[in-house]
Amino acid sequence: MRRWMIGLAAVTAVAHVGSPDVFLEGTAGPYPVFVTIRPPAVIPGVAEIEIRSSAADITAVRITPTPLAGPGARFAPTPDEAVRSKEDRQFFTGSLWMMTTGSWQVRVMVEGTRGKGELSVPVPAAANRTLGMQTSLGALLAVLGLILALGIVSIVGAASREARLDPGVAAGDDDRRRARVKMAVTAALVTAALYLGNAWWTAEADSYAKSIYKPLKMNASLEGGGTLVLQLEHSGWFQAESLDDFIPDHTHLMHLYVIREPEMERVWHLHPEMTGGGRFTHGLPAMPAGRYRLYADLVHRSGFPETLVAAIDLPEVAGKPLTGDDSAGVVAAVGRAGDAVSPLAGGHRMVWERGAEPIVAKRPAAFRFRVEDKDGKPASGMELYMGMPGHAAFVKTDHSVFAHVHPTGSVPMAAMELARQSLAGNGEAAAAGHEGHGMHAALPPVVSFPYGFPQAGVYRVFVQVKRAGVVETGAFDVTVQ
Amino acid sequence: MATFVATAGAVRERAEAVPWYVWCLVAAVTSAMVGGHWDISWHRSIGRDTFWTPAHIAIYLCGVLAGAACGYMILATTAGRGPIANEGAWVRMWGFRGPLGAFIAAWGGVAMLASAPFDDWWHAAYGLDVKVLSPPHVVLILGIMAIESGALILILGYMNRASGALQRKLDGLFLYTGGMILVLLMIGIIQETGHVGMHSAQFYRTVAVVTPLVLTGVARASGRRWAATTVALVYMVFLIGLILVLPLFPAEPKLGPVLTKVTHFIPPNFPLLLVVPALFLDILLRRAGGANRWLLAVAGGVGFVGVFAAVQWPFANFLMSPASENAFFGTGYHDYLTGPKAYTILRKFWLPETTPGAFWTVMGQAVAVSILMTRLGLAWGDWMRRIRR
Repeated sequence: MRRWMIGLAAVTAVAHVGSPDVFLEGTAGPYPVFVTIRPPAVIPGVAEIEIRSSAADITAVRITPTPLAGPGARFAPTPDEAVRSKEDRQFFTGSLWMMTTGSWQVRVMVEGTRGKGELSVPVPAAANRTLGMQTSLGALLAVLGLILALGIVSIVGAASREARLDPGVAAGDDDRRRARVKMAVTAALVTAALYLGNAWWTAEADSYAKSIYKPLKMNASLEGGGTLVLQLEHSGWFQAESLDDFIPDHTHLMHLYVIREPEMERVWHLHPEMTGGGRFTHGLPAMPAGRYRLYADLVHRSGFPETLVAAIDLPEVAGKPLTGDDSAGVVAAVGRAGDAVSPLAGGHRMVWERGAEPIVAKRPAAFRFRVEDKDGKPASGMELYMGMPGHAAFVKTDHSVFAHVHPTGSVPMAAMELARQSLAGNGEAAAAGHEGHGMHAALPPVVSFPYGFPQAGVYRVFVQVKRAGVVETGAFDVTVQ
Repeated sequence: MATFVATAGAVRERAEAVPWYVWCLVAAVTSAMVGGHWDISWHRSIGRDTFWTPAHIAIYLCGVLAGAACGYMILATTAGRGPIANEGAWVRMWGFRGPLGAFIAAWGGVAMLASAPFDDWWHAAYGLDVKVLSPPHVVLILGIMAIESGALILILGYMNRASGALQRKLDGLFLYTGGMILVLLMIGIIQETGHVGMHSAQFYRTVAVVTPLVLTGVARASGRRWAATTVALVYMVFLIGLILVLPLFPAEPKLGPVLTKVTHFIPPNFPLLLVVPALFLDILLRRAGGANRWLLAVAGGVGFVGVFAAVQWPFANFLMSPASENAFFGTGYHDYLTGPKAYTILRKFWLPETTPGAFWTVMGQAVAVSILMTRLGLAWGDWMRRIRR
């Protein structure tokens, strides 16, 4: 018996950093839905699903998991009926098993008075923790184990002392002596069996530990005074990770957030190019000297997303002007931004419509931000930024949490595209469930992000929108309870 | 006079009846084996379960029935009541008195009890194990094994003290329980004994680990002429029954990935042809049972592997052919996790020994293991023959 420690080891989340839950806002046919999926911490394990809809005419919601692609996506298991809340008739919950590590999807099938609709939510599944054994359970098992071990020895003693005697005949000295010898031998065998059992348990635990998700390693360096080089390496995770099987996520293989430490007052959203197997490079813009934290979002061909983390100390970089979709933001230092208003260029400002209620960890919500002009009126000229009305990064100030979220949710667009293809292959309309934001003729000056903070603490939220051809960055500080 | 005759007849009938707690234990071991195979089929067909599936209830009913029967026997005997106490056919342990088999079965009940929270924690810590042999499952299997062994010893104690019709009845139950033990042990190696491996030496080594021990031990302890054959037949009939019955019930996977479409419960593989080597062991024990036990073990061990391989090897060719895809041999049933490249789908033998040298080395190990397990079986059987309590 071993591993009596209580609690969890460090948690590494797939796709983001320290933020394993999946949030998606979309439509299943005519029904708008907000889906939250809490993936299992161990594989195989149970994912918890929550579905909320603003539509009042839904009669049933069914859910089923399949791999995102490959042979397993062909036959879906029998769907489960999601349970409708008695208090809130527009809220449904369910739980689903995810049996293997990799890219999964949860298909959400909605029925209502306007017919049926289906939505696919990509979910990366990987073990991310080791569970210790509670002291009380350990004590119970130790007592039962002791009873069993002593029981075997005593049974052997009784068997060799009395079992072969005719009924009514008392055991003699020879019988007792023989019994004692056999009990001693049995005790030694039981001890050996317990030792081997413990070795087996240790081997199983070690084997499991290898299956705990570890993102690819990323080493950052500066070459030629202005080129950032990111070299990826295998992390030793048991899955065969590839260093060059990435697929574009709204036209870029890598989305890199660069955040200056410790004030977090400068942020860049860059898009390095792959210039070799596992090697990404990017000509840096002008940057002051300092220490920077790097978060790189990538999506493997299977739809499995990863966020790689690195840090780098940079001298002052003269740099080149920003090009393409690259953007930069200069905001207030952490702790000084507040949680209500962030000033933008030209007297504009970004307002967080967060209400008076405290923000609580693990409670999903659509976080809404409004852009106003200098007169406090809704801003005009809003544009899509890389196909999205906005991009948000939720970063815990100790850097233990990082999540890059879109108005559709926390799922990368590349994985969403695979899900869309999977649904299309399943006979559903190709666009089912994933309304393209590129179809908006005129964008409203409001953007919302479905997300739930994974743990309590102090967070900085970066929100990027594009207006009149310029990407603007707002920053907010929030304490999550 | 007529009244006296009638009363004497009733007393004799009662004395010749199998005690209720023996039936209870026989029901317990049957329940565990039906539940065990049902549970495996459940996981291969539906995939997802809760604690309260009928299969789990059948497994744990084994513990309940055995616990009730053995608890009653031990407490009544300790209190000086009942036929076991009157006869003095008990052993002592921790201040309690009862038949040896009752203590062994009670140990099994505690092991089953301990395995439940252990298994639950194991799933939470390391994920649901999709394999049979995990530490908590081994504790559960050991528990069921102890209940089955306890039943065997309990029946044996009665059998060795009984005579006539009762003795024959008890011997029949003894062989049936031996068959159930064989079913249980074969569950333990179920993942290593599929059709695709039947042309590998590893397969024969794995079978040699568990089978000669049970067949030889039970045959040696029983007074019946075809004891080992009967035990093997119990195992084979039980499994064939499952193949015929389980697919009659609808089932759909509730877990993904679903790689093969499943519409009904998936039964176990066709049983191994153990009846043939068992027949050989019966003949050997009858003809040369009095010989030196090591010589007997060598003859039995070598013969077991030789005879078994002689029938199972060609039979495997048949099982791998489309001709065996029918309701009786059941090789067309594949669980939902069977992918298109699985050897069972491709009907391709898995051959881990890549050279003749490697093959014959492992085959030699199979023979050595078989000799050793036959010798252990002889010792176990001889010990059981002398059990009186």
